[in-house]
Amino acid sequence: MSTAAAVIELRRRFGRTQALDGATFEIGAGVTGLLGPNGAGKTTLLRILATVAAPDSGAVSVFGRDPSAAAQRVEIRRRLGYLPQDPGFQRGFSVFEFIDYVAILKEMTDRQQRHAEVRRVIDAVDLTSVSGKRVRALSGGMRRRVALASSLLGEPQFLVLDEPTAGLDPEQRLRFRELVSHAGEGRAVLLSTHQTEDVAALCQDVVVLDQGRVLFQGTPSDLSAVAAGRVWLADERVSGAELVWRTGEGRFRHLGLPPSGADLVDPTLEDGYLLLVGRFAEEAAA
Amino acid sequence: MSWHVSEQLVTSYVTGELQGARATSVEAHVMTCSLCRNAVNAEVSPERLRGIWSAVEDEVDAPRRSWAERVLTSFGMSDSDARLVSVAPSLHASWLLSLAAVLGFAVWASNAKSGGTALFLILAPIVPVLAVGGSYGRGIDPTFEVSVASPYPAMRLVMLRSTAVVAVSGALALVASFFVPTGGDAAAWLLPCLALLSITLVVARWFTLPIAAAGVAACYALPLLAALVNDRDVSRLLLSASLQWVALALVVGSFALLTHDPMIRSALRRNR
Repeated sequence: MSTAAAVIELRRRFGRTQALDGATFEIGAGVTGLLGPNGAGKTTLLRILATVAAPDSGAVSVFGRDPSAAAQRVEIRRRLGYLPQDPGFQRGFSVFEFIDYVAILKEMTDRQQRHAEVRRVIDAVDLTSVSGKRVRALSGGMRRRVALASSLLGEPQFLVLDEPTAGLDPEQRLRFRELVSHAGEGRAVLLSTHQTEDVAALCQDVVVLDQGRVLFQGTPSDLSAVAAGRVWLADERVSGAELVWRTGEGRFRHLGLPPSGADLVDPTLEDGYLLLVGRFAEEAAA
Repeated sequence: MSWHVSEQLVTSYVTGELQGARATSVEAHVMTCSLCRNAVNAEVSPERLRGIWSAVEDEVDAPRRSWAERVLTSFGMSDSDARLVSVAPSLHASWLLSLAAVLGFAVWASNAKSGGTALFLILAPIVPVLAVGGSYGRGIDPTFEVSVASPYPAMRLVMLRSTAVVAVSGALALVASFFVPTGGDAAAWLLPCLALLSITLVVARWFTLPIAAAGVAACYALPLLAALVNDRDVSRLLLSASLQWVALALVVGSFALLTHDPMIRSALRRNR
């Protein structure tokens, strides 16, 4: 895997909270999913990779460049597309005007070429019909797509997307998967999400972060395999399992050490993730 | 349809050789005759068509220009820079009205009671400083996060926006000066204002611009306001020659620091 971005022993503290506590991993071409519970340090990590924030200690490299050096930071930004967790919009701007504004920030000074690029990304997120509408008059899902379109400007080689599917309905999420999957062809995409289905559907690689540390890095099937032999179904709730919930079919899905003769089932990526994060939380509390 | 445009006429029309009434006649016919329209289409190269269509789209999509953008471009600023500057929150009507209200209050106070001139001289220089603080920064600019992650130099954006908001808010304060009953003395705020602005830009190397501006404005205004409330003769200090010299020294010192800052130098050099 040719490395697009790497972080080594990254630490960042906010007051009494250690947001990142020695996170180390690297990502290559394709879509990498970043999973983790709330407060795991995902947004801090993404902001550091997007050159918006700096770590207290540790090393960051994007395309071999060091964002702590001003000149190299600009080189990284020229190849970067960033969708923040809570993207803001200029008051009164239409979809076209907003994306045009971001295009200017991305140094697209030739008006005709810039407008052609703005039209291209608006079309890519299927918003051509509302191109002249004010952004603030659009639904939350549409605004998310506007922000996503702005991150695609200039065909960046590294896309950093912070919870892009938050607030999207199922149809929009499917459309989004199509977009990100297309964006991930020939470039690196780092996608932070709470949606394990998105990771299973889209990502070639997964990083699980909790309490500022990397708990896992591997393929989605590797993450599912974490729960191999530890997921079973029973007609009644069995005590001793780490997690139990009633499924739509009325049976109880258990995660944890199975009793003898348990009806084992194939684990999903979500099972692996839940076991990993649950076990780490227990160890951290112990 | 009784006649069609000849091949020769189509070629002359497409190349632009056909002029006047004959061109108008061909154009009117082509609008209603699909056969001749296709003949014209076949003569126009796809590249030319794409170029025309792109120019049309460009005109249709062209963002509406605000009053601030029109003013900035009339001063020679590029369209793209004018767009980045014109969205500065402190150029919005709500901000400008608030600043005008502060100045209006100071003018009223200077006419209504003794010591009122001092209040104007305290408030007038911090109005442009607060406007600079409201031009760029987290919590001020809704696209701050995206603009930081972009290759556009933040320092250049700060300088451009600061210049624009200082011009507007400074003009407001200057107009207000004419309504203060001390004649030429009312302009005594100008040099302190310049000093506060340049100190703000220096401090903004370590703090965000809104915090730097608020901090500098507070450090200047709060002690003076406290003295004024305690019936101290603040006017004498604010109108003294020594304060003007101190302000001038601070301006020169801050500008020396600013122009030696490599980030600021590169932002100023950049010709876009």
